[in-house]
Amino acid sequence: MHPATHPTASAPDGRTYRTPQLRRRLLRGLLAAVVALPLVGMAAACGDDAGSDGKTKISIFWWGGDARAQLTEQALDLYTQKNPDVTFEKTWQANQGYFDKLATLTAGGNPPDIFQIDDNFLAEYAARNTTLDLKPYQDSGKLDTTKFPPSLLQYGVVDGKLAGVASGENTQGLVYNKTLLVKNDLPEPTTGMSWEEHIAWAEQVSKKTGVPGTQDPSADYKAFWVWLRQQGKDLYSGTDLGFTAEDVTKWFELWKGARDRGATPTPDVIHEGNATDITKQLVVTGKSATSWVWVNQMPELKKNTTDELGVIAYPGDPSGQWARASMYWSVFRGSKNADIAVDVINFLANDPDAVKLLGTDRGLPSNLDLRRVVSDDTTDEAMKQSIAVETELAESFGESPQVPIKGHSKVRAELTKAAENAQYGRATPAEAAAQFVEACKAAIAS
Amino acid sequence: MALTTAPDPTRRGSGSVRPDAKRRGTGRIRHGEGLAGYVFLSPWLIGLMGITAIPMLLSLYLSFTNYDILTPLSEVEWVGLANYERMFTSDPSWWHSVRVTLSFALIAVPLKLAAALGVALLLNRAWRGVGLFRGLFYLPSLLGGSVALAIVWVNMFNRDGAFNSFLALFGIEGKPWVNDPDWALETLMVLAIWQFGAPMVIFLAGLKQVPTELYEAASVDGAGRFRQFVNVTLPMLSPVIFFNLVLETINGFQGFTAAFVLSNGTGGPVDSTLMYTLNLYITGFTDLEMGYASAMAWVFLLAIALITVVFFSTGRFWVHYSDGEDS
Repeated sequence: MHPATHPTASAPDGRTYRTPQLRRRLLRGLLAAVVALPLVGMAAACGDDAGSDGKTKISIFWWGGDARAQLTEQALDLYTQKNPDVTFEKTWQANQGYFDKLATLTAGGNPPDIFQIDDNFLAEYAARNTTLDLKPYQDSGKLDTTKFPPSLLQYGVVDGKLAGVASGENTQGLVYNKTLLVKNDLPEPTTGMSWEEHIAWAEQVSKKTGVPGTQDPSADYKAFWVWLRQQGKDLYSGTDLGFTAEDVTKWFELWKGARDRGATPTPDVIHEGNATDITKQLVVTGKSATSWVWVNQMPELKKNTTDELGVIAYPGDPSGQWARASMYWSVFRGSKNADIAVDVINFLANDPDAVKLLGTDRGLPSNLDLRRVVSDDTTDEAMKQSIAVETELAESFGESPQVPIKGHSKVRAELTKAAENAQYGRATPAEAAAQFVEACKAAIAS
Repeated sequence: MALTTAPDPTRRGSGSVRPDAKRRGTGRIRHGEGLAGYVFLSPWLIGLMGITAIPMLLSLYLSFTNYDILTPLSEVEWVGLANYERMFTSDPSWWHSVRVTLSFALIAVPLKLAAALGVALLLNRAWRGVGLFRGLFYLPSLLGGSVALAIVWVNMFNRDGAFNSFLALFGIEGKPWVNDPDWALETLMVLAIWQFGAPMVIFLAGLKQVPTELYEAASVDGAGRFRQFVNVTLPMLSPVIFFNLVLETINGFQGFTAAFVLSNGTGGPVDSTLMYTLNLYITGFTDLEMGYASAMAWVFLLAIALITVVFFSTGRFWVHYSDGEDS
């Protein structure tokens, strides 16, 4: 601007004050926009429940991969076809971070009507009254569970309330590398071998193939749990632990023995395999001849290796295993559309077309009649295999234990820490066991 | 501001010529200015209030409760100082995470600053192609908290990673660095040090500000390179060193991403990478003890504030501001 001309209010300079009204209007506009923005956001957020045109939108949230997303979306579309008034807001994501998101949504007062959950968190949510009790729907027949195995249904009950409906059944499975064994002329392991026999077998595999015979599962709560049940103990008993420090010491010593004999990989590789990620399981990364997984994970494991895999029960008496709900569908207690949400769950469990679509992606179908249909229909070899093994194991299943209690996720983390302390030689089995039990007591007390 | 004030640099000076007009004029302008100021500030202001200030105050409140995320806020129970008591008296993993974080910051931050200053000195010359090198050294810090970088790091430093293959060239047998509880944290420190680009650029800018006469005078007085560095460069650079030290210390304490990725969010192997922030995250979101996690966050905030205050109060003994106003 020209230095000689100085603008003042009384003598408006052409450039600066020509349009005070415009300026004011502009300011007001801006202000309005700023104020309105969040409102627009809120309006958009409120738009979800709609319902003014007789249509209902049900929000549903699950974890899983692309394949599961596709199958689930198709099954839900089928529901919309049969019930045109109901549409879905589907959200899904990978397992990691799922429960953070679910907790955050719940805290924000915006939880989905239907959500997928597993036994690690079911009691956490049920104990805090986040899940709707489905018992009344079961009693009135709106939720048909007559075709479910009773023990599977029971595994969704927390404090006498039906907190979740199993969306699939699975059980522990010891997966081994068949190709490796055949190539080296080694016997395949069989269900019913004792733990000692299993370790001896693994030692033989290590010696002959150079690949460690078995992943050390001492950090794996599900292996520990099966072993405990075989000793007449349990992971939990009421609101307390179902085992003592002596039990844990025995468990850790069993595996210290196995490591000393060279039956397992080195601690750092064991640590790698302790990740829950399927692609990191040692049996598919070639760092061990076995991995301790769930039977229904077979098809996913198969996708990560060219080797042929076999699956059997964990060692010891197979009645230590049970019909476990691989995951559940639960309904949020505050859902405005609870009746419809329950109907959707009922549909996903009992509608022949939906169940056929979903297959065994979440585990064996809970509805026994439809389970037979699905296993007859499937063409996926790995799926056939896992169905066959699980059906066979089902004959020797023991009774379901109680659903893991509040604090379980912490207990799992503490088991891993204690077991790894022993594996890396930073603590003796007895010291690690004592630490673990103490940490568990603090975890389940709070 | 441009919307309301006349972009006339002479206005302030001219006011003395016509005081009346000026007072009236600016008064009215100030009124509009203030409003416009707030309007333009509002995105930030709303952000500060809504996203930072209110949640912070809420977390202060929650730190005195047993809030567990799933229970509605209206039903939380006031537990007084119980969370703070538990932290200091009966939570070994809290103390452990404090130790891990302190050793991380105490080692990684000074080494990172030394690396940044060293490379900045090397690159503060008029070599051909020096710009390229500046860019290359700066690059890693652009990837800062990235998850991808942490994944690359894990793959480079595991048992059959690139680093061990490199060691094997010299017949050295490596370790499973990231999966070894004795080395996992050190691996993270190396990652942090390697990302020295941001402080390096600031050091470079600082070096450019040092008047060359000082070096000339020093060399006339017979000072060698080392003497010049100690007596000219370091004092002249001390405000920049101070700035970098404060910033990097705060950053160092808050390290999260790499530890999270390396350990799959567990702080393993055997809690060796359980940084304070990671422990806080696990407590809040996995164990669902958000009240307790809030208390942890507040203690953390106070600790960092305290350390910063210590820096500022010692600063006047060693930070030299060339404009003569020691502060």
